[in-house]
Amino acid sequence: MLIDGDLAAFLESPVMIILGTSDEYLRPQIGRGVGAMVASTEGRVDVTVSNRQWPMAVANVRANGKLAVTFARPHDYVSYQVKGRASVIDASPSHIASSRQYIAAVSAALVGLGLEDWVAAQWFSDEEPLVLSLAVESIYVQTPGQQAGRTFDRQRS
Amino acid sequence: MIGLERLSACFEGVIPSIIATASADGMPNISYLSHVALVDEGRVALSNQFFTKTAANILANPSVGILLVDPRDGAQHQLTATFEQSLDRGDLFDKMASHLRATSAQLGMADVMALRGVDIYKVASIAAVWSPVGAVASPPPTAEMRLAAATAVTGKISQATEISSIIDAILDGLRDSFGFGATMLLMLEPAGERLVTVGSRGYPWTGIGSEVAMGEALIGTAAVERHSVRINDMSRIRRFGSAIRASSADENRTRTIFLPSLPDAMSQIALPLIAQGAVRGVLFLETSERLAFLQGVEAALSIVAAHAAAALALAEHEASNAPAIMTSIEGAGALAGRPFKVVRHTYDDSIFINGDYLIKGVAGRLLVHLLGLHLREGRATFTNREMRLSDELRLPEFKDNLETRLLLLRRRLDEKAAPIRLRQTGRGRLSLELAGPAHLETVAARG
Repeated sequence: MLIDGDLAAFLESPVMIILGTSDEYLRPQIGRGVGAMVASTEGRVDVTVSNRQWPMAVANVRANGKLAVTFARPHDYVSYQVKGRASVIDASPSHIASSRQYIAAVSAALVGLGLEDWVAAQWFSDEEPLVLSLAVESIYVQTPGQQAGRTFDRQRS
Repeated sequence: MIGLERLSACFEGVIPSIIATASADGMPNISYLSHVALVDEGRVALSNQFFTKTAANILANPSVGILLVDPRDGAQHQLTATFEQSLDRGDLFDKMASHLRATSAQLGMADVMALRGVDIYKVASIAAVWSPVGAVASPPPTAEMRLAAATAVTGKISQATEISSIIDAILDGLRDSFGFGATMLLMLEPAGERLVTVGSRGYPWTGIGSEVAMGEALIGTAAVERHSVRINDMSRIRRFGSAIRASSADENRTRTIFLPSLPDAMSQIALPLIAQGAVRGVLFLETSERLAFLQGVEAALSIVAAHAAAALALAEHEASNAPAIMTSIEGAGALAGRPFKVVRHTYDDSIFINGDYLIKGVAGRLLVHLLGLHLREGRATFTNREMRLSDELRLPEFKDNLETRLLLLRRRLDEKAAPIRLRQTGRGRLSLELAGPAHLETVAARG
């Protein structure tokens, strides 16, 4: 599924990245991503995640591939959710470099909104980085309001 | 396993929580949610403002994952839980709805944030998420500590015998036993439209006689909703009240006493004082600490508020039943001292002494009545019953709260260092003291 340029830029910007997975008993597990790299034409989003911090979410994706990721901009709650099948791959040097940039940028954005830096530091680990490489099957507008939950319309932009 | 109660700071809505659901075929859905509330040791309640997909998934598969964040240090806790039921009425629903209304009104979002329903979830497990930096926040006070503090304060209230000493016991007790130094106690005016401050601690000025309209800000909201209302992170809340002390000139111009407030308050709570089913006032506390009024502290303070309301109602009732409380006027300085002028403006019942605004309303009428009787009849004593039956006072029947009005008047006269004072000379016994010859004047027109 093609990911347009504006959306790709949003997904790669310093926004909060939260991950939804589920196990064989349909019990959901949550995780946080630390940076995304988008391959627009391939319809793929690579989300870096700390296996140290979120081992169960990683294990679920490894087991069944099902993944939902919501990207939410902290200052105005603009949010998109992408869903599809993901595989767990090793983080490349560019993934790791991109993830470090992301952690610095999103931490600065949160501090700019009045959050203490040690509070935000709890959420962004780069220990044992792995990549959830997601083949996007659907995209939803998740911003609170009338449009919430609607399918993202690529023609609109 | 960490108990849910130990996570009380996570339920303040300061940092958004996250909910994950999964459809019947296992495809997950992940979104932020605004409010998670603690129900009991095994259950949480979520405000139902969900996106359609989350709601559909819960119907198909009741298992959810919830990520809670401690706003004090960012520590994360992952809950696995199962949907039990939805509520659209009842105590829990009312409490969550009124909290949401109060906080969203102050964020300017009252219309956006209506609560449609509350969903109850049974929690199966709680797991602390590994942290790269470790947790730094200390655990909140234990239930035993809060209960001990509530016991100490209610014990002091029980020993107090009249309105003024009950109010002192409440406010001193909150400071000494709970460590909350900035507090106010407001009583409902007989007409039921306004709350008036009758005691405070910890502010640059007492604010005795300052008023809050029913429904206004946190204090007025607590009185209307009949629930306690609290805010634990004021950084995003529009501030109410004046941080700068109003001068006498300001008071004279506006005929309003300014409500004091902490300029750097981060947490506030307003608790209604309810006895025999009626709201009688509001107890208000604030502090510069964030997250000071977590759910357990609120519960302990609610015990204090209920006890305080009952004690105040009983004291007022006992005073009104006392057959002949004598009030005497002592004119020791009345002939020798400097003359002073008391002016009453009839259009708003405001009282000025030597040009300085004193007070409005029933308390002001009481002063004029006492002084007028003294000047007209030269009487030295008269009774509480006479005051109640006086047409001049227009005291609303059954709700006169005479003791509270006299206390308010007495404290306001003291604060203004007025040349006329009320002195308490014994239980239910007052004397009026004049520092010089008094001249009483009534002005009908505005100005």
